[in-house]
Amino acid sequence: MSVKSEERAVTTTERSQTRPDAPGTAARWVSRLAFDKIGAVYVLLAIIAVFSFWVPETFPNLTTAKQILNANAVTALAALSVTIPLAARVFDLSFALNMTLCGVAVAHFVVDGVPLALAVVLGVLIGLVVGLINATVVVGMKIDSFIATLATGSLIQALITLVTNDTPISDVKLAGGFAKIGQTTTQGLILPVLYVAVVALGIWYLLEHTATGRRLYAVGFNPDAARLAGVKVARLQFLALVTSGVLAGSAGIVLASILGGGSPTAGTPYLLPGFAAVFLGATQLKNGRFNAGGTLIAVLLLGTGTTGLGLANAPQWSGALFVGIVLIAALTVTGLQRRTTLAARPAAPEGPTDQSSSTAATTQDGSA
Amino acid sequence: MNAPQVDLRPDRSTRGEADPTGRPVLRIEHLSKTFPGTRALDDVSLDVAPGEVHALMGQNGSGKSTLIKLLAAYHTADPGASAEMDGVPFDVGRSVPAGLRFVHQDLGLILELSAQDNLALHGGFARGFGGRVLWRQQEAETRRVLAAFDVDLDIHRPLAAATPVQRTVVAIAAALQGWEGGGVLVLDEPTAVLPHDEVERLFEVVTAVRRRGTSVLYVSHRMDEIFSLADRVTVLRGGRRVGTYDVASLDPRSLASTMVGDDVDPDFRAGVVERTDQPVTLEARGIRGKWLRGVDLEARAGEILGIAGLAGAGALELPYALAGKAGALARGELRLPGTSPDWHDVQHATGLDIPLVPADRQTEAVIAEFSVGENISLSALRTLGGRGRLSAKDEATLVRSWSERLGVVSAGPSAPISTLSGGNQQKVILARCLALDPQVLVLCEPTAGVDIGTRVSIYRIIADLAATGLTVVVASSDEGDLLALCTRILVLRDGVVAEELAADELTKSVLIRAIEGAEQ
Repeated sequence: MSVKSEERAVTTTERSQTRPDAPGTAARWVSRLAFDKIGAVYVLLAIIAVFSFWVPETFPNLTTAKQILNANAVTALAALSVTIPLAARVFDLSFALNMTLCGVAVAHFVVDGVPLALAVVLGVLIGLVVGLINATVVVGMKIDSFIATLATGSLIQALITLVTNDTPISDVKLAGGFAKIGQTTTQGLILPVLYVAVVALGIWYLLEHTATGRRLYAVGFNPDAARLAGVKVARLQFLALVTSGVLAGSAGIVLASILGGGSPTAGTPYLLPGFAAVFLGATQLKNGRFNAGGTLIAVLLLGTGTTGLGLANAPQWSGALFVGIVLIAALTVTGLQRRTTLAARPAAPEGPTDQSSSTAATTQDGSA
Repeated sequence: MNAPQVDLRPDRSTRGEADPTGRPVLRIEHLSKTFPGTRALDDVSLDVAPGEVHALMGQNGSGKSTLIKLLAAYHTADPGASAEMDGVPFDVGRSVPAGLRFVHQDLGLILELSAQDNLALHGGFARGFGGRVLWRQQEAETRRVLAAFDVDLDIHRPLAAATPVQRTVVAIAAALQGWEGGGVLVLDEPTAVLPHDEVERLFEVVTAVRRRGTSVLYVSHRMDEIFSLADRVTVLRGGRRVGTYDVASLDPRSLASTMVGDDVDPDFRAGVVERTDQPVTLEARGIRGKWLRGVDLEARAGEILGIAGLAGAGALELPYALAGKAGALARGELRLPGTSPDWHDVQHATGLDIPLVPADRQTEAVIAEFSVGENISLSALRTLGGRGRLSAKDEATLVRSWSERLGVVSAGPSAPISTLSGGNQQKVILARCLALDPQVLVLCEPTAGVDIGTRVSIYRIIADLAATGLTVVVASSDEGDLLALCTRILVLRDGVVAEELAADELTKSVLIRAIEGAEQ
C-alpha cells in the first residue's frame, strides 16, 4: 500500500515539473522561432540590416544576394559533405584534399582526351575509393578518425603531387563542356547553387526521414547504447565515410570546373570554412544535431558577413576575424544554454541513487 | 568458502581507540538530499569514532553513494544538515575538510602513468630551482609513502601493468599523502573490482591504515567483508538510516534482514509459475568470456530465469553474451529453438535480435540527446514505414502504445529523456526492448537506480510479460530483484554455474550464502 501511494506522489510531482502550458500550434511556432533554435537567422538579418545602412549603394540588392549564393556554393557543398560523418561523430579531415584530388584528376582526364562524362564518373569513383580507404582505416583498423583522416589526407596529397607535379593543369580543352559543369549561369545564379539545393535536400531527407538517419544520430550521441540497442555501429560509420568521400569528390570536380582547371591547392581553403559551417549549423534548428538546413544557414551567415565586409571596403583581415568571432559566439551561447538547461534538472542525467557506483563494476564486468 | 573470513580486527580489549563513546572524529547530522522526484537521502546521521573501521551498508539505491558524494561535495546537501570533523564544523556538501580523504570506486588513477607519477599528481612534485623536478627526492618520497603498506611494486612502471590490488594500494596511499594519522579515509566499494583472492590483501592494507590512527568509512554491500573488518556498521535503506550497530552484536542473517527491511515487502513475489510443459525458447552452450568459464543454460517460454553471482563470477557478463553483445572475448553458441534449430556464434548473434536492458542506464542504454520517443523507437526503426522512409505516424503510434503499456510518465514523446526519473528512463529502455516483440528478453540490473515504488511496478511489468509467454533472463547484483521475479536462479561462481536454485521457498539468506559460496 505504501509503495503505491509513493509512486503516485512521484507521478504528480513529475507531471507538474515537465508538462509545459498547452502545447498548441502557437506554442509550437514560438518554439520553432526561438532564438536558441534559429539564432543564426536573426544574426543574419541583423547583419543584412547593418550592411544595408553601411553600404546602401552596393549591398541591399538582388545582384549582391545572387553573388553571395554563387560565391558560397562550393563552401556549402564542402560543408554538406562532412555533415553525415559528423552526425555519426566521425571526422573526415581529408575531405578538402579529396576535393583537390578529384578536381585535378578530372581535369587531367579531360586534357588527355577522355570524354567528359567518363572523366566525371572516374572522378567521382576516385572520391568513392578515398572514402573506402578512410572507412577501412577508421572503422576496420579502429584508428581514431581525427588522426586517421589526417594520415589518409597525406596519402591523398601524395597522389595530387603525382598527378600535377604541383603545377596547375590548364588547357583550352577545359574551357568546353568541363567549364559548363560549374559556370553555367541562369537568372544570375550558377549551376552549383542548384547542386547545393539537391544535396541539401538529400541529406535532410536521409537524416530526418529515414531509419538510417536516426541511427546515424544514435551512433554519434552514444555508440555503446546504439550497439546494445542493435544498431550496426561500424557499418554506419563506414557508410558515412564513403558517402563523404563521394560528396567531397563531387564538390572538388565542381570547384575545378568553376576555376576552369585543376589547381593542386584548390580544396585546401575549404577545410576550415567547411567545418566551421557544419559546427555552426549544428547549433541551429535541431538542438545540437548536425543537419543540412542548419549548415546552409551557417554558410549564408558567414558568406553574407564576409561579402558585406568586402563591399564595405573593410580591411582584408576583417573577414577571417568575423568568421572566428561568430563561431566562438555561437558555440559559447549554445554551450551556455545546454549547461543552464542541464542545471535546471541536476538529477536526471546521472540519476539520483546508487546506480553510478553499482554500475561502475558492472561495466567492467559486462562490457568486457 | 572462498571468501576470506579472517578476523583482522584487534581484540576488543585492545581496541580502546575505537571506543564509540569517545568524541567522534567525523559527525554528521540531519543530512538529506532531494533530487526531482526522489528523496535520495533522508535525514541521515552518522558518526565515525577515531581509529575505527565503520562500515556503510545498503542495497543499490539505498543512498550509500549519495552520502559519499555529499561528503565529497560532489552534490550539495539540502539545508538543515550539520557536520563536524575533529570538533570543527564544516559545510557538508560544499566543502571537504582536509582530514577527510576519498578513494572512489574507479580509484581515480591514471593507468598510463607510474605509481610515482600518480602519487606526485596527488601530493605534488618535489621541485628545485626553475621548476625542475627533483627525481631522486621524488623517488625517495614515493618509496616512503608506499612503505607503510608493504607493497611490492615497480614504482616506475605504468600502473596498467600493476595488479588491481596494487592499484588500490596506490590510490589509498595517494589519498592519505600529507596526512599523518587521524582523519577519515572513505573507501567506496574497494573490493568491487578486486579478484577474490586479492581481497584479503586489501584487508591488510585497511588494517595498516587503521594502525596509523586513521578511521575508515568502508562502503560495501558484501556481508563477509563487514564481519572480517568493521567495528561498527551503519545500515541505510531507501535513503534512510536504519541504525548503527556493533558488528559483534550482529550475525549475517540479522544484518541481511536489516538491509532488506520491509520498505519493499521482502516477500514480494511476482508469482510466476515455472511451466515445465512450455517449449524451450533459449539455449546457450559453452559461453565463455572475460569471466565466464563455460556456461550452458536453457530457458522456457514464460519463465523468468535469474542469474546471480558476485562481480567477477561473470553474472553480469552472461546477459551481454546471451544477447550476442558481449564484445570480442565472448565465445559460445546460442539458439532460439522457437524460430530456428540453428546454433549461432555469440559473436555473430545480433541477427537473433535478442534485446538487452544493459546494466548502466546512462552510458549503455539512454541516448541523452534523444527524446523519449526516439529512445523508445530506436530498436524497432526498421518496422516503421517502408521503402526507406521512416513513418512519423507509425513511430508515434508505436511510442504511444508502449508508453501507455508500461506507464511511462513524461511530458510526451518529444520530451527530452533527461527530464525523466531513473525509473521512468528504465521503462523507456524496457519499451525499446519490447518494441520488437521479442520471444526472449535479457535484463541486467533491471532496477539499479530505480526508486522503490517504480521498482515494484517494473517487477509487475516483467511478470505480466512472462505470463504472456515471454522468456525473461534477469541478471542482478541485487538479490531482491531475483527473489521477487525469478522462477529459477542460476548461481555463478568463478565463471561457471555452481548451483541451481528453485525460487519458491528460497530465502534471501540462502541465496546470499549460495552467491558467496558459503557451506550451508
